Amino acid sequence: MSEETETIPGADYTLAEMMCVVAARELPRSGVAMLGMGLPVLSGTLAKLAYDSDLRICTEVGAFDWQPWPEVPRAPIGIHDLILNHGSVMVTDMVDALGTLLMGGNADVGLLGAAQIDRFGNLNTLVMGDYRAPERRLGGTGGNTEIACLAKQVVSIMPQERRRFVDRVDFNTSPGYIDGPGARRRAGLQPQGPNRVVSTFGVFSFDTPDGGDTDSCEMVLEAVFPNLDPDVVQAETGWPLKVAETVREVEPPTNDELTLIRRLDPYHFYLTPGRY
Amino acid sequence: MPETKLMSEREATARFVDDGDSVYVGYTSVAYGLIHEIVRQRKTGLEAIGGSVGPQGTMLFMAGCADRVSSGYIAGALRPGPVQDMMDSGDLRYEDYSNQAIALMLMAGALGIPFIPTRSFLGSDYLKPEYQEHPGGHRGANKWATMESPFDGQPVVLLPALIPDVAVLHAQRADRFGNVQTWGHQGDARWAFWAAKKVIVSVEDIVEPEVIREDPGRTVVPGFRVAAVVHMPFGAHPSGFVGHYDFDYAFMAAEMGRIGRGKDEFEAFRAEWIDGVADRSEYIQRYLERFGQQALDRTRATAGPAPTPDVRYTYAPELPFRM
Repeated sequence: MSEETETIPGADYTLAEMMCVVAARELPRSGVAMLGMGLPVLSGTLAKLAYDSDLRICTEVGAFDWQPWPEVPRAPIGIHDLILNHGSVMVTDMVDALGTLLMGGNADVGLLGAAQIDRFGNLNTLVMGDYRAPERRLGGTGGNTEIACLAKQVVSIMPQERRRFVDRVDFNTSPGYIDGPGARRRAGLQPQGPNRVVSTFGVFSFDTPDGGDTDSCEMVLEAVFPNLDPDVVQAETGWPLKVAETVREVEPPTNDELTLIRRLDPYHFYLTPGRY
Repeated sequence: MPETKLMSEREATARFVDDGDSVYVGYTSVAYGLIHEIVRQRKTGLEAIGGSVGPQGTMLFMAGCADRVSSGYIAGALRPGPVQDMMDSGDLRYEDYSNQAIALMLMAGALGIPFIPTRSFLGSDYLKPEYQEHPGGHRGANKWATMESPFDGQPVVLLPALIPDVAVLHAQRADRFGNVQTWGHQGDARWAFWAAKKVIVSVEDIVEPEVIREDPGRTVVPGFRVAAVVHMPFGAHPSGFVGHYDFDYAFMAAEMGRIGRGKDEFEAFRAEWIDGVADRSEYIQRYLERFGQQALDRTRATAGPAPTPDVRYTYAPELPFRM
């Protein structure tokens, strides 16, 4: 499938645009956010401009609390775009960003993309197949691993495809709930793992009301995009998906959200057909 | 007077980059002029080090200059192609770390401590024992270790200190003695200036030593740690450089994008942009001939809205009292 160009019948937006808009909505309205490489930068910028948001967006290159000005010509192209030097409250280095800020406990939420996700919200950014004899290499984790390990909450963005929503990630670069309740605590991490996943079909939470120690810690379908049959979500998921008792329908994007997200990606760096 | 460190990229690279060296190659704003010179001089057996190694890594791998890499991200491996092939065949040995890990390892190298703990990687597959000494690697058991903290019993990952033999970096300005000043976000460069045994810095501007001493808050490394300074406007092109020019996305896509597509494409790029010019000023000259002044000007920084007022560091020469 190529969800990035696919639209819902009658809709004037693509599923990929919807995914980025909904990820922006799922971000908290305050606190400190560390944006990972790729779509998180677009969604984070949208969140700052579309909502009256007190969220402090940061990237691992060392730009803290970037405030995009109203007429900003684009979302940062990557986490290292030089426009982050205009409008941040602090620009510093990676030891500060991924050490002092993140490992020091100052990041309230991380927003992440990856190549694969599994039922426990683990992410894979490194390799397809066995690490020692890979079918395919990927670029690597960048700062994805530490954000997944160390941010107090995590929201992931992941196109809904069967090859991406897999039963078990080929290589767990970025721990979610690892293999179930209590696993993060046993590994030496804070028990709270990922909170939300936003795909091209809907929104997921995790079945662990106390934040990681009890219940199944599996992904649960909470909401689907407008006019989308919840059954297609299972068809593009590689394990028997847990589904909430009542599956909400997500509000369609507003004109403001759509206009902004298109304006922020003038070169189709983020929402190019064929890539995310 | 201290000795001047000012020299050409040819001399700096010939004197301070040795075959077999581990080389910090930069993160996002890359000293491409120096990387090109390493390729031009056919250095071999290098290890490329950086939090995320972008096209500068691909260039060193494709040219046969580097056969090892330690990084959190290898851009050339993102899609199928020659870099993936080299990793599969063993021609390029790799250790996968992360951006945080490389930054902390450089910091440990700079601090002179043997290792540094992190709480990243816990719970991930990176730490599986069967991956520690993997067939594609080059550090074996020295990649990292885990232990329980002796103070609170919590598990931590111990990252070994990284002391690159040489670091190649680009900066906004320096004086002839190698006192280097930068501003804007630093990525993992800040600690590379202090970790590496030999530091080669290319700069947009050479300034008088008084300029440095009048505004020392911008200095990231003092000259006594720097081996060579190369005056090199547009030395980071086609990456961007804070306060000077933006990334040249058109050039990166149309020209530099060729280097990872195959040997022929790489050789075409090398012939035109590396071997076909003597140095960075000829490179820029060629760029102007090919694309015109306006293409270069399009990337230039324009003035921001509110210039920073001068910071004053001097005070009245005499105190109005005696102790």
